[in-house]
Amino acid sequence: MEKSNFESTQEFFDMWLKVYNATTGRLVEMPAMGPAREKSEKMMKGFSTFVNLYAAGMDSISNFQSVFMEAMRRVHEKTATELEGEISPEKCKDFYKIWIETYSETFKEFLKSGHFASDMRKLNSYLMEFQKYNREMLEENYLKPMNLPTKTEIDETNKELYSLKKTVKELTSQIKELKEKK
Amino acid sequence: MNKLSSIEDYEKFKHGMELFLKPPDFSVGTTPSEVIFSEDKMKLIHYIPTVEKPYPVPILVVYALVNRYYILDLQPDKSVIKKLLDEGFDVYVIDWGYPSGVDRYLTIDDYVNGYLNNAVDKIRERSGLDRITLLGVCQGGTFSVMYAALHPEKVKNLVTLVAPVNFDTDKGILHIWAKSLDVDSIVDNYGIVPGDFLNAGFLLTDPIRLMIDKYVGLFEKIENKPGDKEGELRNEETVKNFLRMEKWIFDSPDQAGETFRQFMKDCYQKNLLIKNEMKLNGKKINLKNITMPLLNVMAEFDHLVPTEASKPLTEAVSSLDKETLVFPTGHIGIFVGSKSQKEVCPRIAEWLKPRSLLDGTGEEKPESAKEKTSEQKRKNRRSKVIIK
Repeated sequence: MEKSNFESTQEFFDMWLKVYNATTGRLVEMPAMGPAREKSEKMMKGFSTFVNLYAAGMDSISNFQSVFMEAMRRVHEKTATELEGEISPEKCKDFYKIWIETYSETFKEFLKSGHFASDMRKLNSYLMEFQKYNREMLEENYLKPMNLPTKTEIDETNKELYSLKKTVKELTSQIKELKEKK
Repeated sequence: MNKLSSIEDYEKFKHGMELFLKPPDFSVGTTPSEVIFSEDKMKLIHYIPTVEKPYPVPILVVYALVNRYYILDLQPDKSVIKKLLDEGFDVYVIDWGYPSGVDRYLTIDDYVNGYLNNAVDKIRERSGLDRITLLGVCQGGTFSVMYAALHPEKVKNLVTLVAPVNFDTDKGILHIWAKSLDVDSIVDNYGIVPGDFLNAGFLLTDPIRLMIDKYVGLFEKIENKPGDKEGELRNEETVKNFLRMEKWIFDSPDQAGETFRQFMKDCYQKNLLIKNEMKLNGKKINLKNITMPLLNVMAEFDHLVPTEASKPLTEAVSSLDKETLVFPTGHIGIFVGSKSQKEVCPRIAEWLKPRSLLDGTGEEKPESAKEKTSEQKRKNRRSKVIIK
């Protein structure tokens, strides 16, 4: 951990991921057997869903940390000489202005980059996958055994309701037109 | 001196905190109005005219699905609606409401050819006119453009305010992100896309200023002069204004999933609208069908809808009577900025007045509006506006 930036964190995490994929990752992806095969396989799938999200999250954190470091470096560059001597409230206010401007610009630079956009896409997709998985597990293991309606069922009802409402509106409008013609 | 200054700053902060411990009552959207029509969660609001005889052609304001329409009527001295009423117009606004699970399958077609069309018909019925003025704001402006192209016979004038139509630009940060967004996974997972999810995106456009500097700025504005009653009133106003804006920013309705999917994919990712290739319920939207007078208004420093996203509309339509106005302000500043209040609304009103009379009848202007016109024209000549 001699390096001053966050490359070490990233290196450590990459190494962890490689080891996971070569060991535990392979174990959890083994085909399940026996009477609980289906359920067990679905449960095991949760590991890789979580690891994907965790890896994307770590990537994002590491990128943001680098942006923080860069912003801090820029602030230091701008204020190194100005902050010498006695610190006064005025100086603090000037420092705050420089800090806000520099951080805001550095972050915006990063947020506008294609790198962030693809990073966000990855993180978002894995987050959605993870949430979907959790919901399915909840439905499968709690709601269905308790005979409670699941989101999938509610969605189906909503779709049916939407379609019925649309038909009613169309028919009402047609009746109105016909009445007006008479 | 320095110590004194520190103490003053501390006292200022302390005073600001005291103000927040007994927050003043504040309200938004106070211009008198009535709901004249509703359909599902959509409500059509009619504002009570402030002149005896308003201009005959009514204005329907169409706001975005993201955030709420009352930004146009945030407070009496920062109200686009009130300004339009005082200029002598008859004003209506669509309140889209807060979609819930049952609305997840609503499409853009349902909003444009359904709710919006029914609201327009209701106003036509009330006014006895065939055509009305549409004033579309932001995404509501995009919807108004779609509507005007599909139903040109019902639109007399079209005013678009910071409305995106060309989505293929890298000037706005949202345009960059939207291209990479996995829209299907978001809609399939959420169904109804949470308003907080979108809000997180808006905050990320400039996180340091929006999550830190904005709040520091509030305390900077607080005056701390013991016994100064006028200063206290100003402080109360500062806090009220801040809380109104804060309420609006975080009052984000969830989004109907299928509408969000189509808007993101057809508009932001494929840019179909400006290419005349976008379809609603199988019907192509051809911007060349827009022949009515068009006023295309935008903000020069808009970080959400850059001028590159709005300007091409003026060229894309067939209207002969068309104008582009660019004001030196931002996306929200154009509605609530004090300078904008003095420039934007009067310019829109000035453009609309001669176009809001009944065709060929030489209908008189409302009395109160008459007096203002010459004075306003003089003021507007001084405003920094680029007119195309």
